[in-house]
Amino acid sequence: MTDASQPILSLARIDKTYDGATRPALDRVSLAVAPGEFFSILGPSGSGKTTLLRMIAGFERPDVGRVLMDGEDITDVPPFRRDVRTVFQSYALFPHMNVLENVAYPLRMAGARKAERLAKARDCLHLVSMGDFAARLPHQLSGGQRQRIALARAIVCRPRVLLLDEPLGALDLRLRQQMQHMLVSLQRELGIAFVYVTHDQGEALSMSDRVAVMSEGRIAQLGTPREIYFAPSSEFVAQFVGRSNLLPIDCEPRGGALTALLDGKPLPGVAVPRSGAARMAIRFECVRLAPAGEPAEGSCSVPGTVEDVLFLGNALEVNVRCGGLNIIAAVPSAEGERFASGQPVQVLFDAANATVFHG
Amino acid sequence: MADIASDLPMPATRPMRLHRISLLGWPVYAWFIVLVLVPNLLLIGTSFLRTSNGMIAFDPTIASYLRLWKSASFQFLLVKTLATSFGAAAIGCLIAYPMAYYAARVVQKNRSVLVLLVIIPLWISLLMRVFAWRMILGQNGILNSFLVGSGILDQPSEAFLYTGFSVLLTYTYISIPFCFIAIFTALEKIPHSLIEASQDSGASAWQTFRHVVWPLSRPAVAIGFSLAFLMTVGDYITPSMVGGIDGTMIGMVIASQFGIANNWPYGSAIAVCLMVSVGVVLAVVMWAGQTKGVLMGDEGARPPVAAHRLSPGRRLLRAGAAVAFALPYLFLYAPLALMVLMSFNDSSVQAFPLSGATLRWYGELAENGSMLEAVQRSLVVGVCVVLASTVTATGFAFAIHYGRVRQARFFEFALALPVAIPGVVLGIVMVLATQLAQIPSGVGRIVIGQASFVMPVVLMIVLARLRRLDGALLEASMDAGANHWQTFVHVLFPSIRGAIVGGALLGFTLSADDVMVTLFLSGTSPTLPIWVWNQMRFGFTPSVNAIFTLVGVGSLLAIVICNRLLNRASAAGAGSGR
Repeated sequence: MTDASQPILSLARIDKTYDGATRPALDRVSLAVAPGEFFSILGPSGSGKTTLLRMIAGFERPDVGRVLMDGEDITDVPPFRRDVRTVFQSYALFPHMNVLENVAYPLRMAGARKAERLAKARDCLHLVSMGDFAARLPHQLSGGQRQRIALARAIVCRPRVLLLDEPLGALDLRLRQQMQHMLVSLQRELGIAFVYVTHDQGEALSMSDRVAVMSEGRIAQLGTPREIYFAPSSEFVAQFVGRSNLLPIDCEPRGGALTALLDGKPLPGVAVPRSGAARMAIRFECVRLAPAGEPAEGSCSVPGTVEDVLFLGNALEVNVRCGGLNIIAAVPSAEGERFASGQPVQVLFDAANATVFHG
Repeated sequence: MADIASDLPMPATRPMRLHRISLLGWPVYAWFIVLVLVPNLLLIGTSFLRTSNGMIAFDPTIASYLRLWKSASFQFLLVKTLATSFGAAAIGCLIAYPMAYYAARVVQKNRSVLVLLVIIPLWISLLMRVFAWRMILGQNGILNSFLVGSGILDQPSEAFLYTGFSVLLTYTYISIPFCFIAIFTALEKIPHSLIEASQDSGASAWQTFRHVVWPLSRPAVAIGFSLAFLMTVGDYITPSMVGGIDGTMIGMVIASQFGIANNWPYGSAIAVCLMVSVGVVLAVVMWAGQTKGVLMGDEGARPPVAAHRLSPGRRLLRAGAAVAFALPYLFLYAPLALMVLMSFNDSSVQAFPLSGATLRWYGELAENGSMLEAVQRSLVVGVCVVLASTVTATGFAFAIHYGRVRQARFFEFALALPVAIPGVVLGIVMVLATQLAQIPSGVGRIVIGQASFVMPVVLMIVLARLRRLDGALLEASMDAGANHWQTFVHVLFPSIRGAIVGGALLGFTLSADDVMVTLFLSGTSPTLPIWVWNQMRFGFTPSVNAIFTLVGVGSLLAIVICNRLLNRASAAGAGSGR
């Protein structure tokens, strides 16, 4: 992504409040999507991400702000004249048309001749590996198959922007992973910009070039998956993306420098911007455990007692009681049965992995 | 572990079943045979007999059919009847479709009120509605007095009443609510996401309608059309009240064969011909209306979101649509309103200007002994019919739903057959059946005749409720330690009570309003509608307006209560159902 490339889609300071609602659904939202980019909008339900998507598709009008496509203002363009296609959360396949007719529908609306549109629709079905299902009706398909047809219908016209509204929400875990791979390779192949709405951070982080995390109608953070994951800009992002311990700390000047105090004990190396009460986020997998009494070797160290252990397959989640706090550590399950309830341990983490939030 | 499991004997039956006596299926078969199969076979059988000296001779012959085959006037009449009903149903659908579309997909608030307002006329006595039209169209009627009074016509025209047109108009009036309900239900069910998907695919509003909305609502149009067609095609009340000579329909001929003409075999043969042609018409309509595919219900039925910032042009369009939407309501309610108005008018002439308010006509009613007797009889009949139908229907619903009836699908359909038989034909079918069983005309006959079509209606309502019921509820109850009987008392019955009571009330209005079947069965003991019908044949008294107003108010109250109960039942169902 270079700065020189003009964004294919940009939203400028969008405000939207629904009739009768007290809080705005969208509050001064601005973002730009580059051509061919995989852009995710991540947020909990009610954060406004679906409203944002519907705004791009043209089903909602912003109260304030503009929607631009390739530099052209399309705020007042009705949905059927926008070069944008949507994969609906519910798939929205036409129940009275077979798979092929469903996929050919956008071409038919565009006035393509029958032979041409059926040929194109067939190609598109092969693209999503559903070539053998052309004559089926939607109710004869499984959820995963319907999902692929909805995808095929959306890409058959090669729109410049494809919107996906939690498309994998209704699928089971295995299908979801298969579809993720398929979506990514399809996006590479077609070069269409994808705007992908999800509440599943795993999907957002694994597939996207960039992610916008939304909270209460605003963009809480916009960046690459790495930035979002390792440098969350707010407590909300830290908690919503990944799994983090949020620990209350005090920041006091000590020995000439600001020092973070956890439960009264100093944490060497943790950078704090100013003094006062604050909270420190540290991801589960950044916390290590060692037998009690072992030297810390440059890491921050807190003594505690194992309270309980959850077996998650690839990892163990160990809940450690440290004075008045609980700290959870995710350790590889290969470390085996080393930890049992009631056992005294040392909680270790590197200062670089901790992020401090004030306020 | 696996060894233990495999050693256990596997139960052969499905685990979740109410263990009621398995004899429960037999009443269903018995009802079907006694009230559906035998009567209809009797009809067919009678059509192959002949009369001599006013008595039926048991002498198999096809004379009646030969006579019909040769009778050009019969064929003309049959075609005319079918064409009039077909036309009325078609016009009804044409009017009802935009109304239903507006109510289901444009209106945001008070949708249920708008729907209820269309359905209410269905429950107002048919006699009353038809009579209202006579009042409007007649030579001294309101339309004529208006036209003459405003100088458009020099003298009252005879062109409005007693023509084929007046029958068509009244049939259309009867058809609209049926078409509306069916179409509205289908349009409301179309998920909004499909409309959006179509727009998203680049379809304009018109293309979306043509390729998505219309195909998905077409089956419902066929159903609404069929209902309306069935209601009017066997109607002999309307043509004899507003049709005159030109508006004669085949139902009147059939009725007269069982009345004055007293030729039952000939009447039966006409009825069989009518049923067969109606069957053919409906089969064609249903075939033309079918659409492949099944709505899966997981498409998400998001209500349409109001568009903001309407331009002045669009706002004007909206206002125009709202006005156009209000017009059919005017058409539906103007006749009823006129009738109420006239019941307070101090004049025995049904015309404007009004000559002052009076309660005279209501006072006259209170002194009318034969009418009060008829009211009493109507109540007795209504209560008997409702009791018999509701108890039977509830039992049958359990039997069918919990697999106590073999071929449940078939019997569910077969029991509902009387509802789908044209009114006049059902009337004579029940005459034949009760005659054979030597039940004298009067209350007993009426109860049996009415129960034949009230029971299926209640059955459909209760069965629909049972099917929406979450099976896990019963399992949860048993799991909590309740036995079958306790589960029935504490869980099952309370969840379907609303449907049963609602069905019973609906059944009562059906019973209390019925003329078509009852007229054949009442003999010398008329129910209220029959009494009114007899009065009107002797000539008009304004008291009739007063009776109808009272009956209308009564029906309305029943509907409001019934609607409330059904709504509560469905609201409870929505919480626990799928």
